[in-house]
Amino acid sequence: MRWNRMLLALLLVVIIGIPVVGISAQTIPFVHKKRYAMGTVYEVVAYDTEVARASAVIDKALDEVVRLDAMMSNYKPESDLSRMNRTAHFHSVQIPADLYKVIQESLRYSHLSDGEFDVSVGPVVDLWKAAMQGGPTPTVEDEARARACVGYKKIELIPPDRVEFHSPCMRLDLGSIGKGYAVDRMAEILRAGGVERAYLNAGGSTMYGIGTPPEHAGWTVHLRDPSNRLDPQVVLTENSVSTSEQTAPSALGGDAPGHIVVPASGKPLRTRYAVSVVAKSATASDALSTTLLLLGPEKGEAMIKGLPDVAAIWISRDGEKTIAGRGLHIFLKADSPSIVEESNVENKAVTKPKQN
Amino acid sequence: MRLGEFFSALLLGGVLVAQPASGKVFLKVSQAELPPARAMGVSDLVFVWPVGNDSLLNKASALGYRVFLEATPGDLSVVADAAEKTNAVGVIFDAGNLDSSASEEVLRSAQSAHAKLSFLLLNPGGKEPQMKARLVVDRDGILQVSSPTSQPWVDSNLALVRFARAFRPEAIPLYSFHWNLSDALRKKLGPTAEDYSLAISEADAFRADVILDLHEGLQKGLAHNEAEAWALWNNVKRYVALQRGESAPGMLSMPLANTGIVTNNYRVSYEGINMMARHNIPFVVLRPADLEAKRLDGLDMLVVFSAPSIAACRVLDDFAKQGGIVVLVNLRGDFPWHSSEPIRRNVQSAVYSVGTGQIVEFAEPVIDPEVFSRDMRRLMGVQRSSLSLWNSLTTIAVPYREKPVGETILNLVNYALEPEPVQVQINGHFSSILYESPEGGCCQSITPIERDGFTEFVIPALIIGGRVHLKPTVARPQL
Repeated sequence: MRWNRMLLALLLVVIIGIPVVGISAQTIPFVHKKRYAMGTVYEVVAYDTEVARASAVIDKALDEVVRLDAMMSNYKPESDLSRMNRTAHFHSVQIPADLYKVIQESLRYSHLSDGEFDVSVGPVVDLWKAAMQGGPTPTVEDEARARACVGYKKIELIPPDRVEFHSPCMRLDLGSIGKGYAVDRMAEILRAGGVERAYLNAGGSTMYGIGTPPEHAGWTVHLRDPSNRLDPQVVLTENSVSTSEQTAPSALGGDAPGHIVVPASGKPLRTRYAVSVVAKSATASDALSTTLLLLGPEKGEAMIKGLPDVAAIWISRDGEKTIAGRGLHIFLKADSPSIVEESNVENKAVTKPKQN
Repeated sequence: MRLGEFFSALLLGGVLVAQPASGKVFLKVSQAELPPARAMGVSDLVFVWPVGNDSLLNKASALGYRVFLEATPGDLSVVADAAEKTNAVGVIFDAGNLDSSASEEVLRSAQSAHAKLSFLLLNPGGKEPQMKARLVVDRDGILQVSSPTSQPWVDSNLALVRFARAFRPEAIPLYSFHWNLSDALRKKLGPTAEDYSLAISEADAFRADVILDLHEGLQKGLAHNEAEAWALWNNVKRYVALQRGESAPGMLSMPLANTGIVTNNYRVSYEGINMMARHNIPFVVLRPADLEAKRLDGLDMLVVFSAPSIAACRVLDDFAKQGGIVVLVNLRGDFPWHSSEPIRRNVQSAVYSVGTGQIVEFAEPVIDPEVFSRDMRRLMGVQRSSLSLWNSLTTIAVPYREKPVGETILNLVNYALEPEPVQVQINGHFSSILYESPEGGCCQSITPIERDGFTEFVIPALIIGGRVHLKPTVARPQL
């Protein structure tokens, strides 16, 4: 059915098939829980013989996401992030340790990407989000005004727990890294609670595997493939994958608003690619997926060369792909299941698809 | 410009038929071990035929329940006979694969043969209402997980109910669904109070009847007077009570909408309609035969999924000339507006300027419902977006006008089952805004802000279901 095919085409992550057969299927039940936070759904599937204990630990992990949402939400005026955004201009303010850590990580990726990743881009993103909701397309003046508030170099972290903005209108939005941080915190809590086989999902865009599902070497994740031809996959075990893609374009044509904005230009990113990133932590995969989408394959490859345990794949609608990275693997099953490529330090593939 | 005032009179004799103000909750049970109906707060029980032992039905009746038997086309006649013999009040007919005209015919025939029984048609395709990001199914030992979108996905029954309303306007839509029990804990313990409450709130908000499977464990617990079971059910009863609170005699509801979806094909139009519901675009479903000028007052947009007749093309053309927006989805033909060149055209769409309105032709069916709904919002623009919710991605809001008092009711359903602040923007001015909920009772006064012809207010914490009463600033003529 056409809709089903197209729905799959939209997925950030398509399907995980985890065969659970024989004894294990009967002896290891799974618990599945979900919670709405940070504007998306967090879910955990855990295989555990002690269902009640696992359930309680999952609840604790999901509570942690809610706690972090209350701290890092820019929609909630009472959140620590909102308070900081109101009061840290030319004046240092104390912030919670988690928030400090996330901003610190953000700045790391801003430096690595020379500003392509920037958590201060919020004022510009908001302009384009309003356009997506039916509001007017931002004018050049609107953009210029908002862009004047952007710039990670104007964020000063003062150890151990203070922050100051050297701009009168700076506002941080942690949407491109906060989910990853929350997933890492969940994984810590689950492990500490004795959960050894679990799969964590933040809205389909960031996922993490703890241990392995019964009788398998890991949690197989089929990645977003805008071409529907390549079927890229990763097998998660104590690592994470995140996918970024610009908002799908309007069928009406014209200026297409989008939620990913280029900090330097203040305009929505125009790209043919979706990018998926595998990394040891969800914080890293989340931040890097946005960064590498903004950078594109050429600059992106160069950037991740220096990073251990990171692999990435860019795929365009017409099936053009670039795989790069080392330490972690992305598998490709292109037109034939027997053709398998994988990324490692020396093996990068940039190929054109077969024309059907 | 055709700025159809959202809360303007919605057509005398128009397509938006006034409806009885509330539906009902039916409980589907597997045994007669139950407390009395009064204690349950629900009086309609459904048994699947064959029941096994007729004494169960008599026992249920003795406990104060109105008993219905569920039948399929193959056993309708037998079930109806049994219902009469056992003092059941009616039969719920699951028509299965029968098409709508065949099922109507079967029902008519059964009704004439059993005049004392009440026959209700079960609409197929009901879903468990829920928020989800993935599917998890346990089938032949396979766990599958998929993510339709990074935003929360809401499975609702609004599209189903609105479609049923259009095609059987005289009947309250009735649907049911199966709880997903693949999760080990849920299988053992059954749905939670929140799950039941969500299903009840949803049916109430959509003005439909719903059949809920009562988990066997809960049923036993209630019958044996177990404290845990009663704690759960007493929470659920608050939602049943809220629903009942609306059943004042003579009170009728009219759905308020500024978008009409023209279709006679549920399958083709479903995904688009479903996503418009999720985006809180107030809509009604119109049959192609409803496309008459007098029936379109108050609508700003028509989204057409079924090929229009020549007469209907003229109606669409006139609708656009008066400022309306017409969207044709994957329909080809020699239309009147083709006498002019489109003002914009790309591979996916062509836009024609017609009078003070416009007609948009999409070249393909709805491929991405999310993009489609966003495009509908963009076409409508902010001024004609009669209802908007901010930061409430898991909430569906459904507005009604209450007859005869003229009050506007906004029903809210939060599929996340967690308290969420809901920011609402609604077209019009109101003298008072009151919020009613199962947790807070009736009613909390809400302070609004008025801006550019809209009223904005915040519901501080919508948990599962709630209702906003908006009293008009000036008296309006009774419809």
